[in-house]
This record gives sequence, structure tokens and C-alpha cells, in this order.
Amino acid sequence: MIEFNVLVVDDEDDFREVTTKRLTKRGLKVWDAAGGAKALEVIEETRIDVVLLDVKMPGMDGIETLRHIRSLKPLIEVVLLTGHASVDSGIEGMKLGAFDYLMKPIELEPLLEKLMDAYEKKRLREQKIEMAQMKKHMSMPS
Amino acid sequence: MHRLLSFLKKRILPEQEPQLSEAELQDAFRRRYSLFRSLLTANNNALQAMADLEKIYYSGESYRMAVVRARITTILVNVYKMVRNLLVMSDGRYQELEGIFEKISQQLEKVIEKKPDPPQGEYIQTLAETRGKDRQLVGEKMANLAEIARLPGINVPAGFILTAAATRHFLTADHFAEINRRLQVLDPEDLDALYQGCAGIQALIDAATLPADLEERLLMHYSRLEKATAPGVRVALRSSALGEDSGTISFAGLYHSELNVDREGLVYAYKKVIAGKYGANAVAYRRRRGYRHEDIEMCVGCMVMVDAAVSGVVYSRDPGDARREVLRINCAAGAGKGVVDGTNLVDLFLVDRQSPYAVVHRELRQMSGGPVVAAADPPPSHLLPPTLSDGQLRQLAETALRLEEFFGWPQDIEWSYDGEGKLHILQSRPLQIALADLVAEEEPSPATPPSGEPPLIQGGVCASRGTACGRVFRVDSLDSMRRFPLGAVLLLSQPLPEWAPLLNRAVALVAEQGSEAGHLATVSREFGLPAIFGLAGAMEQLADGEEVTVDATATAVYRGRREDLLHRATGKRDIMAGSPVQKLLAEAMVLITPLNLTDPAASQFKPSWCETLHDITRFCHEKSVSAMFSFGEQFHFDKSRAKRLVGDVPLEWWVINLADGFAATAQDGAKAIHINDIVSVPMLAIWQGISAYSWQGPPAVSVRGFGSIIFQSAMRPELDPAVASNLTTKNYFLISKNFCNLSVRLGYHYAMIEAFLSDLLTENYITFRFKGGAADHNRRAVRTRLLADVLERHDFEIELKGDTLLARIKKRPADFLAERLQVLGYLTLHTRQLDMVMDQPAMVAQYRNRFNREIETMLGRTPPGEVDDGTRGKSSAG
Repeated sequence: MIEFNVLVVDDEDDFREVTTKRLTKRGLKVWDAAGGAKALEVIEETRIDVVLLDVKMPGMDGIETLRHIRSLKPLIEVVLLTGHASVDSGIEGMKLGAFDYLMKPIELEPLLEKLMDAYEKKRLREQKIEMAQMKKHMSMPS
Repeated sequence: MHRLLSFLKKRILPEQEPQLSEAELQDAFRRRYSLFRSLLTANNNALQAMADLEKIYYSGESYRMAVVRARITTILVNVYKMVRNLLVMSDGRYQELEGIFEKISQQLEKVIEKKPDPPQGEYIQTLAETRGKDRQLVGEKMANLAEIARLPGINVPAGFILTAAATRHFLTADHFAEINRRLQVLDPEDLDALYQGCAGIQALIDAATLPADLEERLLMHYSRLEKATAPGVRVALRSSALGEDSGTISFAGLYHSELNVDREGLVYAYKKVIAGKYGANAVAYRRRRGYRHEDIEMCVGCMVMVDAAVSGVVYSRDPGDARREVLRINCAAGAGKGVVDGTNLVDLFLVDRQSPYAVVHRELRQMSGGPVVAAADPPPSHLLPPTLSDGQLRQLAETALRLEEFFGWPQDIEWSYDGEGKLHILQSRPLQIALADLVAEEEPSPATPPSGEPPLIQGGVCASRGTACGRVFRVDSLDSMRRFPLGAVLLLSQPLPEWAPLLNRAVALVAEQGSEAGHLATVSREFGLPAIFGLAGAMEQLADGEEVTVDATATAVYRGRREDLLHRATGKRDIMAGSPVQKLLAEAMVLITPLNLTDPAASQFKPSWCETLHDITRFCHEKSVSAMFSFGEQFHFDKSRAKRLVGDVPLEWWVINLADGFAATAQDGAKAIHINDIVSVPMLAIWQGISAYSWQGPPAVSVRGFGSIIFQSAMRPELDPAVASNLTTKNYFLISKNFCNLSVRLGYHYAMIEAFLSDLLTENYITFRFKGGAADHNRRAVRTRLLADVLERHDFEIELKGDTLLARIKKRPADFLAERLQVLGYLTLHTRQLDMVMDQPAMVAQYRNRFNREIETMLGRTPPGEVDDGTRGKSSAG
């Protein structure tokens, strides 16, 4: 199991706690936040790789939170999660660059797989950026 | 060679792109492939969700809004992914798809989020001032009661109604949002959770504060009622829901009533009745019948309690046997609650519907403590607990028939006789005869084996329910498609969307392959055409022209016309019929499932003709496949990085590894690669075909044929046979483990094979393009025709335009495709010999026979009784 850092954002305490516990058990490092504002604090302070984000939350909703995450930390991958949001929030989320969209309730295995895919994408992108930077430095006359 | 390749490519792509290095090529391939793969996955998900939607819509079974919403969201997200990926894959072509998608998804959103208009009017109005037209404000039950109250000679207790406007004043948008949230997360299968969740919602309503102005008005109306009757009068609070306006829906007994309420108890009782809307039974029932909770608005009637001596229910017809000319009357002593909810022992009377309303049947259970069937004579009256006299029965019968006539439908009436013997009508509603029929006419389970001859063939999946009878007609080519007769059973090997036009003419559809999620399955359901897909062996076991009965629901095909099965197919009732959720889903499906883009070759096959999400998926899928297929054409690679294939190989072959196409044992820096170090599945299959028979070289040319080649070569110097050795030099394989693109120039013809073979059926494909070549146009056309003939035998779909051939197979298992790649490998090598002999019909036939024979042998299907005519080459296949 590859270890990476996940942030679970959901206002439903039951769901958030159970998910956090299960993902931790499977070897991920998991942070959690009960709302969008708190989530933004966490990603400012911590090196989060993937955010699992509930779309429908009181206060700052998932879509708004996603927008902030994209501008603050564009490399973080976001997987959206919903039980009962309006249908077009899904597309809205994809347009804002969410990695994918999951429907609640969700089993652990597919969730884990989706999070790993998201992390893989982030890793590849970082690698590419690194390579490009290296190339740039190498080609510069010293 | 280069000049020729670029010449050919210029004909396909007007602009020459810069050549890519090996790493860039690999990168481009990986990127393109990952887009393609994710598009296909999205396509599968979208089609699966569409199939789910149709299944629940057409199943006649119950479904709920949350499921509909989840499926539609899944469809939208996946179709969006397809559009996005296609735009990247096609370098921004089809940009207008985005706008079309946007428009459809907005329309869908509107349909899905549609809510009934909020009620407008007074919070409270008296029964006396209420009219039938107020039913949108006071609910069905109270509106009907108000109507009855105005009929002469019929008593209805005085009272008032807390309207839907009052309910909306009491429960705010925030309450509704919270209730919504709680309901949507409830798992309908988990009864414990349902009861718990409903109790929670009811507690939430209990805890909500009644607005002061509403409470004030409630108490004021109660005071008026006291003035009109007696101080401290007791009232009954009853539910009166609105929105339950479908004829086949009964919400009987689901809601809550509060009896004997005094002034102090009013507010509590009101909340209780409102909360009754969220009782577990009511929630479960609404879900089952297709009502969202926002479709139902709860109003509350507050009526003076009747001091009842005996109460009961009269049905103006017997629901158990609606055609019988009797009324059915139940009664019990007191206020009658036990009659309605079935908890008390009650007396039963069946009364003739004709004057003088004779009692035809009498069961006095109250007295005996159990069911007693007595004769039609009345027992001695002094022994009885309060029950009904024959005069009262007559009065009830007359009243019930009057109400039936007034409403134009058999009625279910609640009533009470007070101590003075005065009859009060508490409620009258349409009798649920249709619902009773529904219970009685359950369709026999399809698992019950029908009597008679067992099926000819059975299995596969039910792609569309139903039963039909007709003659089998097999369709495997455009020609047979044109000859398809009206009313036949369509038999297919593979259910391609191209066959969709036939569904208008067919009575049933049987396909050896495919699943319920395919395009053709969708269209079948849309047409209500019984369809079985994935029925292995169907092509072999069902004979053309034979009459069969297709029972798609049971996935079985029977010989001849089976009336027993065809009869059973009718009479299925739809439990969701007419419900708001069904209407909404029907409206939504119009934007989702119809498929208008069935023919990729039609001029309408473009974004602007996409009217539904299904159209968009079809378009994206088709175009993504072409974008992927043309990888070899679009990308120009640096040929110096190719490795030469070594080993016992005819001609010269070069290999470029795009991804994991080489075994780990292959040496990285080497200039050559051995065939044993190739692990590309499709390349190895092609190679088997190429190396199965040694190449014979060109045959003797007829004088006329030779002249023609000289003539062509003179016009096009690059075709000069003198440089033929140069022309036959380099043929390129671009490979990965599952992918292979082979560009071949053998002799004068140009061929390209591209294939992807994996475990995922939907990703698998082969395309074969063949064009050009020496010899005049006529002979080239004969040659491509011959190739097309051979390929058609091996399940390829063929497109022929002049001397250009496009042959394709999609979505078949890898081993099936591997065999077809062998065929292509074989043909690629051996067609070269055809050029010279194409003007001799006998030779053409001879070659066709030899090709077919050698291919059969290569594939291990040796035709019996073969005579070796000497044209057969030495086999070098292992």
C-alpha cells in the first residue's frame, strides 16, 4: 500500500468518522474536517495529496470549497462525494477540475481505489513538473 | 519508400506534422490511450446507468426519486467526461458538443428539480365556506366532505380546516430541507433505520414551535365552534392530504387522526397529524408508489366529535367482487376507529344495491367474539350490542348510493350514528377497486416453467421484457438487412446499433452477444420489443424461417406459436402508474435514452444532431475510436529509432515499442529485436498469420495484366517495378502489450492494421485499411472486393469505396480477435500476388478458394476432403 495524505471533508459526523477510521486502518494518513473553512485551514498547514469532499454541506459547500482548493493548491486532487446534491453539482465539480465524483453510500474498496487513482495522477503530474524544471535548469548556461 | 509513404499520408492528412522522437511518440500514445480508456469506462458507466433507468422505468416495479437522481447524476458526470476526453483526443474538433451537452443537462436539471407550486390562501377556513375547487388548499378529503355537507339530507359534523398554507407557515423551508436530507439518506431496505429515521423526523416536527399567529387563529376558530355547539366541545383532527390525486393510489389508513381533543390538546394534536405524513408506513408506501414527500402536502380537518353509538364503513360495492350488486357495510359500537384500522371485531352486512336494500348476508362477530355466519334473518334484538337495524342499513345504502352517484365512482364512506339515531358522514372517498384488482391479478412468476415442449434454447440476459412470436430471420449483412420482413424475429450475432432501424419491423430480437446495457438493448426497451441478448449458440440453434415464440422475460425461445406464453404476457399492472416520480422520470428519459444517431456513415452523424445524452455517448464513442484508430496516421515518428525484427522472417520488418511491447529480456540499446522478445498480443497474432505460409512471390502475369502495370508505372514513377525491392523494405509495427499498429507496403498496396486486445470487451477492436496498389482501377476494385469477401466470412464489418477497403471488428473477446488478426496477417502478405491476375475470373475464384482454405487450415478448422492442388505453400507455422 502506498502511503499518502488524505483529507476527508463532510459535515455528517458518522460518515466522516467511520471513513477516517477505515482509511487509516488501510494505511493512509488521514485528516478530517467538518466543513469547508476548516478544510482550507488543514490544506494550508498540511501536505495533503487527495481531498475527499462532500458536495452538500452547510456554510461553505463542497463546490465552493473545491474552487478555493483549486486556487490555493492546484496540485491537490479532489474526489467529490454526494448523497443528495442537485444533479448538476456533479458536472460543476468536474468542470472545476475535480478528479472524479462518487455517490454515497460508497464501499471502502472502490473508494480506496479512486483515492489511489487520484494520488497516482497527482504524483505523475508532480514528476512531470519536476522533470521539466530539471531540463530547464540543465539547459541553462551556467 | 519515404516519398511514397508521405505521398499516401498527404492524401489523408494535408499537412505534414513534425516527426516525433521515440520518447515523444510513446508519450503521445500513452496520453491518447489513457484518454481513450477513460472515455470507454465513462461510456460503460453512462450506458449502464441508462439501462438501469430504463429497467426501473419499464419494470413495473417500485423505485424512488433518490435512485432516479443518483442514476441521472451518474449519467451526466460520465457523459461530461466523454465529451471532455473526446475534445482533447480530437484536438478541439466537435467543440459544439459542449454547448449541446450543457443545454441537455440544464433541461434535465429543470425536470428533476421541479417542485409543486407553494400553496396560496388562508391558514384556516371553515368547512361551510369550503368548495370543491379548494382541494389544492384543503386536501382531497376535506374538499369532498365540504361538497357532501351541502347535499340536502346529509349531515356532516361542523368544523374547520387548517390548510396547506398553514402547514407551510408551520414548517419552514429549513424544516423541509432537513426532512429532505434525512429522508434521502434512509435506506429503504433497512426497516430499522426507516422506523428510527421516521421517528426522528416526527420528533423534529413535534419540537417545532407553532407560529403565534397560527396558534391564535386556531384557538379563535375553536371558540367559534364552541359557540355553535357546546362549551368545551371535543373535536377530531383528521389528515387531509393533497397531491394524492391519482386514481389507482390509495393512501388509506396511513395517516394519523386524533380523537376527543379539547382546547388544551389542539396544538399538540395538530402537530401529531402533520407528523403523521412521516410515519414509517406512509414514507415506505409513498416511496413504493412513486411519490416524493414534497409531492404530498398535509392539511388538517378539525371537526366536532360525534357522540357515536355505532360507527363503521360502507363500501358502495364489494371490493372483493366489484361486479356483484351488493353494498358492504361494517360496523362496531362506539366511535368506529376499530372498523377502519381493523383492530376491533366488527359486524358485516352485504346489502342489495336495489331498493328495498335487502340484507343478503349478515355476520355478527361483535356478539359472538368471532365470525358467525347466520342466515338472512335478523336475530333477537335484545341480545345485541349496538349494531344496525334494517332501517339503518337501508338509510346507509341509500346514502352510499347517492354519494356514489354524486362522485361518479363507487365510494368508501366512514359514518357514525349518534345516540339519537342521526347519521353523520365523516368521510367519503373513491373505493380502491383498481388496487384490489392489482392484488388479485399478480402475474405468475416467470420462474414457473410453462407446460408443454421445453425451450429450443435458453439463457442470456433479458434486454427488454415481453413475449412475441414470429419467424426467425438472420441478419448479418447490409443485404440481409434490406430483405428483413415485417413481423419477423430478428436474429443477430452481435447487437450493433447499426441494426436499430430493423426494430421497427421486428417483433422480437435475439442476439448471441451483448448485454442489457448496449445501445440496441436501449432501443429495444424504448420500442417495447422483447429482446434476449448474450444467448450463446442462438445463431446455430435457431433456423432461418422457423416460427418461434420468444419469451424474453424468461430468456427462452420455444418452437412454434405458444399461446400459453403469449397469453401470459398481458395484464401486467404498473405499480408506479401516474405517480409524480414516474411522470418526472418519463420526462427526464426523453432527454436521456432515445438514440437518434444510429448510423455513423450518415450525414446526420454530427454534434448538431445530438438530441439526447445517449446520442452524445454514441457520437463520442464512435469518434474516439476513429481518433484512436488513426494514431498511426496522425503521428509521424522518427524511424531511425525502430528496431529491426530478426529471426526466420520473410521481408523486412521494423518495430517501435510504444509501451510494454517488449519482454524484459529484450536489450535496450540493441538495433534489432527477436520475435521471441515481442510480448505484444496483437502483433504476435498478426505475425502468426504472416508466417503461416511462405510467400510465393508474384505469379505469372497475363499479357494484358502486365501491360496495365507498365502503364500505371509509367504514370507514377514511384510505382516502377524496377524499384520494387526498395518498396518492400520497411514495414513498421508500433506496439504495446495490448496494442499494435502495422503499416505495410507490400508490392504496390498500402495496408494498415490496428488492433487493441485486452480483457475488457468494450476496448477491443481491429481495423484494417487497404488501399492503392498497382494495376488499373478496375482490377484494384476486384482485389478489394475479394479481400472484403474473405474478411466478411470472418465477421468483419466492411466498408468498400472503390479500391479503398475499411474492415472493422469491435468488442469481441481477445482470442476471437487474435484469430482475425492471423487472417489479416495472412492476407497482408499474400494479396500482393493478386495484382497481376485480377483480369482472369477463373484465377480470382481460384485465389479466393485457396485463401479461404489456407486460412481455415491455419486456424485449425481444416475443411474435410481437401485436395491439395499444389498451390499450397510450405507451412512454417509452429
